[in-house]
Amino acid sequence: MIKISNLAKKFKIENPKKLSEQDKKDPRLQGRFFHSVKNVQLQCEKGEVLALLGPNGAGKTTTLRVLSTALQPDNGSIQIGGTDVVKQPIEARKKIGFLSGSTGLYGRLTGRENIAYFGRLNGMGDADIDAQINQLADQLDMHTFLDRRSENYSTGMKQKTSIARAVVHSPEVVVLDEPTTGLDIMAANTVIEFIKSLKRAEVPVIFSTHHLDEVNELCDNVAVIDHGETTFEGSLDAFKHKSDNGLHAAFMACLKEGA
Amino acid sequence: MWLVFKKEVLELTRDRKTLFFMVALPILVFPLLIGGVVYFMQNAYSEAATKALNFAIVANVENTEFAKQLADMPSLHLVEQSTSLASEDEMKKFVKAGNVDFLISIPDNYSEDIISSGQIVIKVYLNDAQFNRVQDRIWEVLDTLSAVYQRNAFMTLGVDEDTQEGLVKPFVVEKVNVADKRESQGAAIGGMIPYFLFILCLQGAMIPAADIGAGEKERGTLETLLLSPISRTQIVLGKFLTLCFAGVVSALVTVLSIAIWGVVLSQGMAISMVGDFMAAIGIIDFLLVFLMLVPLVAIFAAVLLSLSIYARSYKEAQGYMTPLVFIVIVPVMIALMPGIELKGIYAWIPLTNVALAIKELIKGTMDYFQLLGIFGSSVLLAGLLIAFCVNWFNREKVLFR
Repeated sequence: MIKISNLAKKFKIENPKKLSEQDKKDPRLQGRFFHSVKNVQLQCEKGEVLALLGPNGAGKTTTLRVLSTALQPDNGSIQIGGTDVVKQPIEARKKIGFLSGSTGLYGRLTGRENIAYFGRLNGMGDADIDAQINQLADQLDMHTFLDRRSENYSTGMKQKTSIARAVVHSPEVVVLDEPTTGLDIMAANTVIEFIKSLKRAEVPVIFSTHHLDEVNELCDNVAVIDHGETTFEGSLDAFKHKSDNGLHAAFMACLKEGA
Repeated sequence: MWLVFKKEVLELTRDRKTLFFMVALPILVFPLLIGGVVYFMQNAYSEAATKALNFAIVANVENTEFAKQLADMPSLHLVEQSTSLASEDEMKKFVKAGNVDFLISIPDNYSEDIISSGQIVIKVYLNDAQFNRVQDRIWEVLDTLSAVYQRNAFMTLGVDEDTQEGLVKPFVVEKVNVADKRESQGAAIGGMIPYFLFILCLQGAMIPAADIGAGEKERGTLETLLLSPISRTQIVLGKFLTLCFAGVVSALVTVLSIAIWGVVLSQGMAISMVGDFMAAIGIIDFLLVFLMLVPLVAIFAAVLLSLSIYARSYKEAQGYMTPLVFIVIVPVMIALMPGIELKGIYAWIPLTNVALAIKELIKGTMDYFQLLGIFGSSVLLAGLLIAFCVNWFNREKVLFR
């Protein structure tokens, strides 16, 4: 289970003169600080998939980075399966499988070596890593490229490897930052099927996306973040009821309410 | 930490660019370059010494011994002997026009009797921008003639041979070297060894440094690594050890390559010289030289890693690192300066003290108690820099600039 309460994170602006006119008008800019996230609440239970929606710059990536322990929050609490992310970051990392927005891999290592490296960092033994990689390769259709150096991978191959790397240690919760962005239809379908398999395994999944059809297909719950605050959190049905004109209109309605 | 180190080293060994700079360049390219330069210089020198040169003599005095001996030299060809090119300008133009390689003007007071002639000033007109060793060849003749004319003059004056030597060369300095062979050799080359070792260690660590921090940031792999359940200190130490490894390996490969190629190129001549020198240094001092390199490489690695972590991109990191070479050269150059010894303030200047200590170790004049102090202070500095690097790596504004 993942629970985020009253999350806040601000960044010091080193050089305010370099900000664009649009950034200067953002109400989150206060003095020399930019309050990227001010009041975010989220909850994702076992076996649920939560979609994190919001326009670019809304604070989704900051929220996920704090959730994944990459950033320290200024306020609020995050619990993952009873572990306090702020107080016990290393324990929390063992429980999280995190896919960041960039699909960066170690280009001079093969896909298998990339995944195995993170398995070892998570304390897994070689036999377990091998078994897990083979299982993930089946699920994500990776066998044809798994033993090639990843520097020449396509975007889809990179993303599949990144996902496998994120979940090689069988984490208790999975967090995916825009996992299907830039993928072709086949690769995106593979990723969606994989998220469904996580759901069937009762692993809570939070994923940020701009694709509302994926939300409709995968999610039980939806959270919308706008200007650093949660403007909607509830079930997919409740989200759909925000408008009679489809998911896009519902999303826009959530933004309007929050603005 | 070791997992990070092993992964980084595996990546290093698969990077063609790194392998080229760390292994291929020292093993093949450096010796080829050095060998090539030596080969061409030797060729140019021997060609200049044996090349046949055309020359002219301008003299009112005919058939001087000097002119005869010059004309008899197999590598010189007398083109013209004249009294007509009287003026200085005419003689200059004659040489400049390429009629001859050089022209010799013998003055009217030329005589084999130097008591009556006084000093004879012989002028040589030549294009000195060309490398043809004209003056060496002229002095070859003049040295012999000078000796003969001086001896004749002294005999005319009734000066015996022992007195002649005293008159010609009133002072002779005989050097009695109390330093042993090792100290002399160490003083001659001991300063250069730390210079090369420092630069090689720095360059070796610099090659992967930009990739290991800024490169990871740029590719997006650093964020993923930060989310693995190991502490950031372990990540930094793993990367730090990789840079130390690269620095030491690069320096060792280069030094071994130069030693092996030196033996090969000198066809064994260097073996006994290098062998004698190495035997004189002794295994303990040799190991101490490498021991002194440990904190040095650690200092380089910590600074390079801090710069790399701070940079947003590979290019930005390279921009920060390039001036480091010059910053490192300055303290080593201080140690190279004549008269600078491991005393007073120089024993406390970081890097300079290590360079001076290595020099003293090679000379065999190191005070081991002082060495302990230098080693300790260098380890302390390296430790502080590593601690700074770890702290740096924990700052969000550095990692997510």
